[in-house]
Amino acid sequence: MFTSEKYTPYRLVGLAVLIELGFVIVPLIIGFWYSLNRVQFFQIRGFSGFDNYWRILTSPMVGNAIAVTLTFSIVSLVLTFVIGFGLAMWLERSNRLNGVMQAVVLIPYMIAMLVGSMLLKWVFSKESGLSDLILAPMGMGDVSILADPNTAMAALVYNAVWRDSAFAMIMLLAGLKSIPGHLQMAARVDGASAWYRFVRITLPLLQVPIFITVIRLFIHLVNTLTYPLILTGGGPGTSTESVVLKMYRLGFSDNVLGQANALAILVFIVNLALVAVLLRLFKKAGNI
Amino acid sequence: MKANPYLREATQRATIRTIVNAIIVVFALAPILWGVLSSLKPTNQILEVPPRFIPREVTLEHYSRVIGDKGLFYLGNSALISAITIVVALTVGALAAYAMARYQFRGRKVLMVFTIGVMSIPIASLLIPTFTLLSVIGLMNTHAGLILLYTAYQLPIVIWMLYGYFLSLPVEIEHAARIDGYTALGTLRRVVLPLSKPALVAAALFVLVFAWNDFVVAVTMTSSESVRTFPVAVYFYLGFYGREWGPLLASSVISIIPIIAIFIVLQRYFISGLTGGGVKG
Repeated sequence: MFTSEKYTPYRLVGLAVLIELGFVIVPLIIGFWYSLNRVQFFQIRGFSGFDNYWRILTSPMVGNAIAVTLTFSIVSLVLTFVIGFGLAMWLERSNRLNGVMQAVVLIPYMIAMLVGSMLLKWVFSKESGLSDLILAPMGMGDVSILADPNTAMAALVYNAVWRDSAFAMIMLLAGLKSIPGHLQMAARVDGASAWYRFVRITLPLLQVPIFITVIRLFIHLVNTLTYPLILTGGGPGTSTESVVLKMYRLGFSDNVLGQANALAILVFIVNLALVAVLLRLFKKAGNI
Repeated sequence: MKANPYLREATQRATIRTIVNAIIVVFALAPILWGVLSSLKPTNQILEVPPRFIPREVTLEHYSRVIGDKGLFYLGNSALISAITIVVALTVGALAAYAMARYQFRGRKVLMVFTIGVMSIPIASLLIPTFTLLSVIGLMNTHAGLILLYTAYQLPIVIWMLYGYFLSLPVEIEHAARIDGYTALGTLRRVVLPLSKPALVAAALFVLVFAWNDFVVAVTMTSSESVRTFPVAVYFYLGFYGREWGPLLASSVISIIPIIAIFIVLQRYFISGLTGGGVKG
């Protein structure tokens, strides 16, 4: 530690703080101001208090969007986490093959969300012929996956699981690697079964990484715009129109920016709550 | 000859291992492979039912179409923006991370909390007001605008990763350097950064993946062709003229190639960086 130079640390962090204030905090404030006004085509037409919030909260479309978001994010969260955990356990031991396998799992995570969703859109589209090839033998002949509300939602979940399991895997791998090997070894010597070792050693020691992974995944899933925008376009109808997609459309297609920002602020508050939980977990992990 | 039971068990395990690994590979890569194979087919064979996995005829027409549609120019835009973002984010991030790792100062804790908080702010909820902000300060439709936004969004992760790494370096070398007359900046540049190569590479990869792949920010904050990035160009094949699967898939493949190539070369840094920046902080 260098404590004698009083202003040096402030000079060092100055630029970073300035950039964050300018491009994260200032937009947040602008967004909040917008949410209190009637705004059309980026022109403020008058202060309206919490009117936008009231409209948002009573709008049936937003109710639908919340239901869609919760369905999508909770189902995806469970599947992504379970698969990610399974992959982490499966590929835990460090060797060449596992290294290659980890890289393979990470590839969908590396490529652009846009591109990944686009590739899945192609796989799921009726035009690719693939859906006929796979579904017809299962007796579901003439189904277009993205045209039916239920299967469209399933496709959306698939998209999330396909890409984000890698994230869960890597986070949990880091946690697994931090468990001292001698604990597992000692339990093994004592004759503990694999299941017993998993429940009594792995899970308890992995608690904090597990929660951090779940919260970060949940934040990501609740806020994803690309998956529904590209894969399903929110359709058919509004069956996959998530809150964030609704917000994007209110802002950039319907041009009711006040309402769009009111929704954005509401989403932000939900996120703040999640971040608060996350911060506590980081604290518990001893990183702050 | 009687089969050795241990040998048999080992073979069984190996078989199960292979099967599970094969399933993982198929799930992870099949959509990508299907996209690549389809992109090599002539238009009429792309939409063939039932589909053929191996193209009957390989053609590069969709690729040349993408190149003809100024694809290389958009790739250049993406590369330029990504490169500058990496330099800016790493420079600013290293300075901040160094201060947080090596100095006790008022506000340090607030800054750490702020860093994690910002890391978790959803970009989606910032899009609309950021649009206004960029219009007001005249950075709409500029390379600089995108670079600054990408830097702002990636800085927290860069700071967090470098901070963790700086902490793990022995501070004694730096003390020695200071006694030899180096300033704080000099020590950072001459002593700390050269020792931090793995963390710098990992952080750079993070920024690269974000900047190269971003679509939502770019499509919102740019409308003119001169700043169009490659993912936005890909997106346009989805919309305007009906769905053009050929060029759409070809451009998708083009966007994947550089990132996968870099990833394969620097993979170990990425994974250690991800794990280091993930759970440890």
